[in-house]
Amino acid sequence: MSYAYLFKYIIIGDTGVGKSCLLLQFTDKRFQPVHDLTIGVEFGARMITIDNKPIKLQIWDTAGQESFRSITRSYYRGAAGALLVYDITRRETFNHLASWLEDARQHANANMTIMLIGNKCDLAHRRAVSTEEGEQFAKEHGLIFMEASAKTAQNVEEAFIKTAASIYKKIQDGVFDVSNESYGIKVGYGGIPGPSGGRDGSSSQSGACCS
Amino acid sequence: MQEPELHDLSDDADYAASLQQGSTSMMLRSDSVKSSSSREPEGAELVYTRDNVAIHPSSLASERISGRLKLIKQNSSLFMTWIPYKGHGSTAKLSEKDTNLYSIRAVPVSDIRSIRRHAPPLGWQYIIIVLSSGLAYPPLYFYNGGVKEFIGTIKQHVFLTRSAEDVNLFLVNDFQDPLQKTLSSLELPRAIPLAYGPSNISVDESTLVEVQGSGVNDGSSSAFHHQGRPRNKVHDPARDLSIQVLEKFSRVTKFARETTTQLFSEHHGNGYDPNYRRTNIHTPAVPGHPKKSSSVGGKVPHESPASGNSEFDELSLIWGKPRQPPLGYEEWISFLDSEGRVTDLNALRKRIFYGGLDHELRKEVWGLLLGYHSHDSTYAEREYLKSVKKSEYETIKNQWKSISLAQAKRFTKFRERKGLIEKDVVRTDRSIGFYDGDDNPNVNVLRDILLTYSFYNFDLGYCQGMSDLLSPILYVMDDESEAFWCFVALMERLGPNFNRDQNGMHSQLFALSKLVELLDGSLHNYFKQNDCLNYFFCFRWILIQFKREFQYEKTMQLWEVLWTHYLSEHLHLYLCVAILKRYRNKIIGEEMDFDTLLKFINELSGHIDLDATLRDAEALCICAGENGAACIPPGTPPSLPLDDGLLYSQQDDEVL
Repeated sequence: MSYAYLFKYIIIGDTGVGKSCLLLQFTDKRFQPVHDLTIGVEFGARMITIDNKPIKLQIWDTAGQESFRSITRSYYRGAAGALLVYDITRRETFNHLASWLEDARQHANANMTIMLIGNKCDLAHRRAVSTEEGEQFAKEHGLIFMEASAKTAQNVEEAFIKTAASIYKKIQDGVFDVSNESYGIKVGYGGIPGPSGGRDGSSSQSGACCS
Repeated sequence: MQEPELHDLSDDADYAASLQQGSTSMMLRSDSVKSSSSREPEGAELVYTRDNVAIHPSSLASERISGRLKLIKQNSSLFMTWIPYKGHGSTAKLSEKDTNLYSIRAVPVSDIRSIRRHAPPLGWQYIIIVLSSGLAYPPLYFYNGGVKEFIGTIKQHVFLTRSAEDVNLFLVNDFQDPLQKTLSSLELPRAIPLAYGPSNISVDESTLVEVQGSGVNDGSSSAFHHQGRPRNKVHDPARDLSIQVLEKFSRVTKFARETTTQLFSEHHGNGYDPNYRRTNIHTPAVPGHPKKSSSVGGKVPHESPASGNSEFDELSLIWGKPRQPPLGYEEWISFLDSEGRVTDLNALRKRIFYGGLDHELRKEVWGLLLGYHSHDSTYAEREYLKSVKKSEYETIKNQWKSISLAQAKRFTKFRERKGLIEKDVVRTDRSIGFYDGDDNPNVNVLRDILLTYSFYNFDLGYCQGMSDLLSPILYVMDDESEAFWCFVALMERLGPNFNRDQNGMHSQLFALSKLVELLDGSLHNYFKQNDCLNYFFCFRWILIQFKREFQYEKTMQLWEVLWTHYLSEHLHLYLCVAILKRYRNKIIGEEMDFDTLLKFINELSGHIDLDATLRDAEALCICAGENGAACIPPGTPPSLPLDDGLLYSQQDDEVL
């Protein structure tokens, strides 16, 4: 299982916005509406390919409830990327974004790439937050933005990979000192991509690379 | 490398004497050869054997148990076995079953942390073996000598060093140098100190492969370091303390069962004859008796020494008492008087502590364990309370049931709570038959109880994790009001786990760090150096009482054991220590940082052997004694709150 880089991601956001479902859709390509709520943290991993380099994403899926914030904060340490998720059908999950962002800014690396995701975009008929509002918030706070659906898989792949591409670009631009693991990046042995492509039990995703 | 030194045991003044003394028991030998001619597994090579190696479970000469000590090499791993001789007359005081309890079955030598040789001026030489889990076997007395050969043989197969501070202490795989650690995982020729023996569970094996696969160091420099003399140890007081604790523990286990039985009888002053109790309570539990598995989902691990090729399956620890079969109906009613009062609460708690309950009994007994019913209540009084409490429950439930839509519009907190609970009950144990499927009415009952509780205890409200605690209770009670009141009783103790400021959790995590410091100083130091002292990796274990770590049935069994508060109200913390100690070598050996450790602990879920861990926890709890209790500040959950004032401080508006 060789990789050029390993990126640590963290998924944050209010409870019930679909953090675990996004992760499962990304790692296992399936939607499981019924699964146990997250206590503490769960982990997932997948290989992707950016610029012909195999990159392993190690993803931390956190519990969303307010009471657990003091614990959740300890998970930010050394994350290279964050997916900040809200539910487009529940206004309050959008309203709480600022407080999540504050946590992230305070406890994570300043160069952490943050992707804002408006999840459940398949439920357009129940939409409570417009796409423009999401875009506006992202713009104001310097985040990448996408609406996605863990249920239909729309934009799920793209969200994770776009975040990775942004991190990768920062590496290329010399923003990160990759020898310092506090940036959430580990350098692997597999700098040269093998013909086997993706690993970790999932299929290769070479097609989706951008940047 | 130290070879001359290690083999230089010619200072064994009493070696010859022990040989002579040993001859007195030679007559046992012919008998023993026949009876203990046990099969070696295929591919195994016997590299050391010594007859008439004995343990002294008590100070009575008649209770000494002789057996054969063997070292067996299989593949590149070395295992130690000590099997008592069967059925010879001199140990008539101990039943064969009792004798078997002490057997040591195929313990990987790589699991041993240290061997201490004792050579008293009078009497036999003996050794005390301490495992890396921190637990120790009773002293093994070599009636026929052979300590020197024993240590010499081990030395040929694993990395063994003599402690710099104590010439009689031999340390197994004690690598001072990180490079040596690497060597151990690389399995270089001659080193063979397999850090992870087959007793470790499957999670380990996969990782081991990865470790070996990625270890691409070139052999030449490794060889150089391997030949290098190990550095002298730096004096480490914490380590000494740890060894002291272990040695103390070893003494405790020397009289294992008697001592603990005495401890308990003294403690509870119930005046029972320990032997009487042993006969009546322990007998059903001895290895070889298949546990009742009808209600346990058939997942009970075998403790039977005769169970096929299980010899290499498990680390058989001998101190924590063997787990017993669950308490069944017949035995249960023997704890009650004719009107249904529990006659001896401590005996009942003890019985449940060691075996749990048959599932059919849970409905009746959980209410007592949780303190919802008083133990001196009669059948009739319990029935009466049920009906009174049922209407009380309905009253509280109506407080939210009667909220109209118009009122709810103006009651944000209620709407939010309800929304959160509704979101969570559909994400709670839906793979369990009782809660599965669409529109399962039990899911609605979960919701109603949690919402009612959030009105009963409005200050605490609802917090994630509560549904995990309620789910088995509702499953067992199968009655809304009864489940509610049992949950209320449980939350009297565990409520602080869900405080907004997490103070209940932090106080338990703090106590846990103190316990690890006491019981495993070097692991504590490791956590300290690696910035892991917040113990957040144990958060889920403690928040919901290991609910996510075990199968549903096992969780129920664990909970009833914890709820007895038999040895300690905080046995769950000792359980944490026991699990951490089981994996301490892996954690330290692989130099896990906080992230890796958290992931590792998370992935232990479903792989923890409950019975073995409970036994370790029991032993650690006894071993830690008052020092352990002193690590846990008064009022630490699940102790009842210290004051009767406001249970929960008023919380701000964000809280649900």
